[in-house]
Amino acid sequence: MDSANLSRRSLLQAIAAVIASAATPIGWTEAAAAMEQAHAASLEGGDATISFLTTAEALDVEAVAAQIVPTDEFPGAREAGAVYFIDRALATFFSQLAGDYRAQLASFQASYRERYPAAASFASVKSEQQIEHLRSIDETPFFNTTRLLTLLGMFSLPAYGGNRGGIGWKLIGFEDRHVFHPPFGYYDRDYPGFSLDKAK
Amino acid sequence: MSTRTYRDTDTVDFVIVGSGAAGGVVARELAQAGLTVVLMEQGPKFTPRTYTHDELRDWYLGAITNDVVKNPQTFRDDEGKKAQLQQFKPALWYGRAVGGGSLHYTANFWRFHEIDFNERSVLGPVSGTGFADWPLTYADLEPYYTKVEWEIGVSGLAGVNPFDPPRSKPYPMPPLPVKSSGVLFERGARKLGWHPVPAPMAINSVPYRGRSACVHCGFCHGFACEVGAKASSFATVIPEAEATGRCEVRSDSYVFRIETNKAGRATGVTYFDRDRTERFQRARAVVVCANGAETPRLLLMSASSQFRHGLANSSGLVGKYLMFNTNSRTVGVFEHELNEYKSVQVTRIVHDFYDSDPARGYYGGGGLDARMGPQPTTWALRTATEGPSWGGEFKARLREFPRGMQVACHGTSLAIESNNVTLDPELKDAWGLPALRVTYKDHPDDLATSRFLQDRGAEILEAAGALRVTRAPVAPQTSSVHLLGTCRMGNDPRTSVIDNYHRSHDVPNLFLCDGSSLVTSGRGQPTMTIQALAFRAGEHIARFATRGEI
Repeated sequence: MDSANLSRRSLLQAIAAVIASAATPIGWTEAAAAMEQAHAASLEGGDATISFLTTAEALDVEAVAAQIVPTDEFPGAREAGAVYFIDRALATFFSQLAGDYRAQLASFQASYRERYPAAASFASVKSEQQIEHLRSIDETPFFNTTRLLTLLGMFSLPAYGGNRGGIGWKLIGFEDRHVFHPPFGYYDRDYPGFSLDKAK
Repeated sequence: MSTRTYRDTDTVDFVIVGSGAAGGVVARELAQAGLTVVLMEQGPKFTPRTYTHDELRDWYLGAITNDVVKNPQTFRDDEGKKAQLQQFKPALWYGRAVGGGSLHYTANFWRFHEIDFNERSVLGPVSGTGFADWPLTYADLEPYYTKVEWEIGVSGLAGVNPFDPPRSKPYPMPPLPVKSSGVLFERGARKLGWHPVPAPMAINSVPYRGRSACVHCGFCHGFACEVGAKASSFATVIPEAEATGRCEVRSDSYVFRIETNKAGRATGVTYFDRDRTERFQRARAVVVCANGAETPRLLLMSASSQFRHGLANSSGLVGKYLMFNTNSRTVGVFEHELNEYKSVQVTRIVHDFYDSDPARGYYGGGGLDARMGPQPTTWALRTATEGPSWGGEFKARLREFPRGMQVACHGTSLAIESNNVTLDPELKDAWGLPALRVTYKDHPDDLATSRFLQDRGAEILEAAGALRVTRAPVAPQTSSVHLLGTCRMGNDPRTSVIDNYHRSHDVPNLFLCDGSSLVTSGRGQPTMTIQALAFRAGEHIARFATRGEI
């Protein structure tokens, strides 16, 4: 497969080839498919959809993501749409993580129910209570994977479903451009040029 | 451009396996010497148009590198343990496209110093290791370092680094424009009495040899250069090899076996083409430049009744002595914006601690550089490992992105036999071939050196006026892009795999040239030396071929 040309036609052919060969779905082709899906969704003006997670799972995962990068005077993981990225990742390009993740999520939900039997779900309780619980589980595989996917979702290209409108990049002051010129920052503005005389 | 193609039944002079930093150079040298060449590459051939700023795709989905699904690997830190599947990040990471690792490298092009070649003699043995001298000296390699600088293209400033080894020519291009990280690093290091200098980088500071100057987009490390300013094999020597009309670059061609005849000579290579059809390319000689992971794997997969433990493996050292180089880093946050996400990774370096100092009580040395962190995604993931990792405080740290820089420290790795590449006894890749199994644990001296260098990095940032300095934890490594030492060079066939000219001791028409050839690790920037070796190997192999000595 010559991946050089990712036109829609060749992309579809590539995906068809992968399916036909019954090979394990793989990296780039899958990612490209996910991008196509996101792009198509935006063209159609429809909302991105959740396909892998159940609604209840998605709400809990979103609530965890929103504690990892919370919303304050600046947007956070919720506004960036990190949960849509996570869902798409598990359904497509990180499908190798999906089985383990679903089991980890189930045990996270079970541990929460055990601790707070009265609460309907993790997502439904107050932020303070969520934080308190997360402090006790923030070294579990579930939390680590959720953080990994949340951060990838915050800062990857918007075409993957997260980082909506470049929210993540704006948050941290990253400019998405292909050409820059010196000076690049504050400290190289008045640099006089390299000279050995300045030594000592 | 239409280039020469060969049929499998044509007996070409050379099949070269791997089109990266070494393979590209060897292909050009042989083709320019009038020899016919098929250059095999596992991965696809891209066009610059395909290269993007897509962090997810290039860093986490293996678009230009090996990926964990198609090319799975297992890892363990002890030969007594069962190696575990790496689900997210490969243990050994390498370019898997025409251009190989040179597509995605950072392009730090330090020469090795004289001491890197004879350090064992100078310092004496280190017990429990395969620490050894090279069968060649810096002086032997110097003309080829110069060749790399002028023919591949390196920007830098000669004559200012008091620790530099002798050189026969200045750099062909001036250094790249300094970044804020370089200014601060220079300021801090000078306050401490050290010797910061402009970094030598294989990135054009001005247009050079038909390639564009850098446009400072900031996506070097882990990405392929969109404008060809970074000197990948793809942008430099491979087009020159093709232009001879004697070299075919055969992409999507996954060589999995070197065939031999009764006389013990290589006859060609068996490979899967892009349709997964098994094919055989005949050749008078084979040069393997597949990198320090795939070269030993190919030799081990080429075992036969005649070569029971793998091809060219009478020493038992194929795959052994894997060296990563150590890495440690210190992050500094400053009052004003540096905007390190713009332009190249590194603009200033310090070599004051290059040499090993017995007074420290352990072996090792290294270099420091001022660099940006990675781009946003990887930077965020790293930030989570270096302080608060979620919540409001973590978010505030994320927002320090434009005001941060790092001092990265690159050090020696000792050669240890139990650090190695073998074939996994169970796991197969997507083609049904044995997966790579990696065993690695840093030597205690290497970790001590890494911490020592990190402390110097922290001192530089403090001297430069950083508001906060954070040391990333130094821990045993489980992953690397420096794949060194696994088919080491030497004069004695009992203790090395190839000779001084990269010919395997066991098979007269089989040559190996890439990171696997290195006897010591250097101080962390191996590609310059790999390419200097490749120019030297190419010249000598061409001479052997034309004299009928293969």
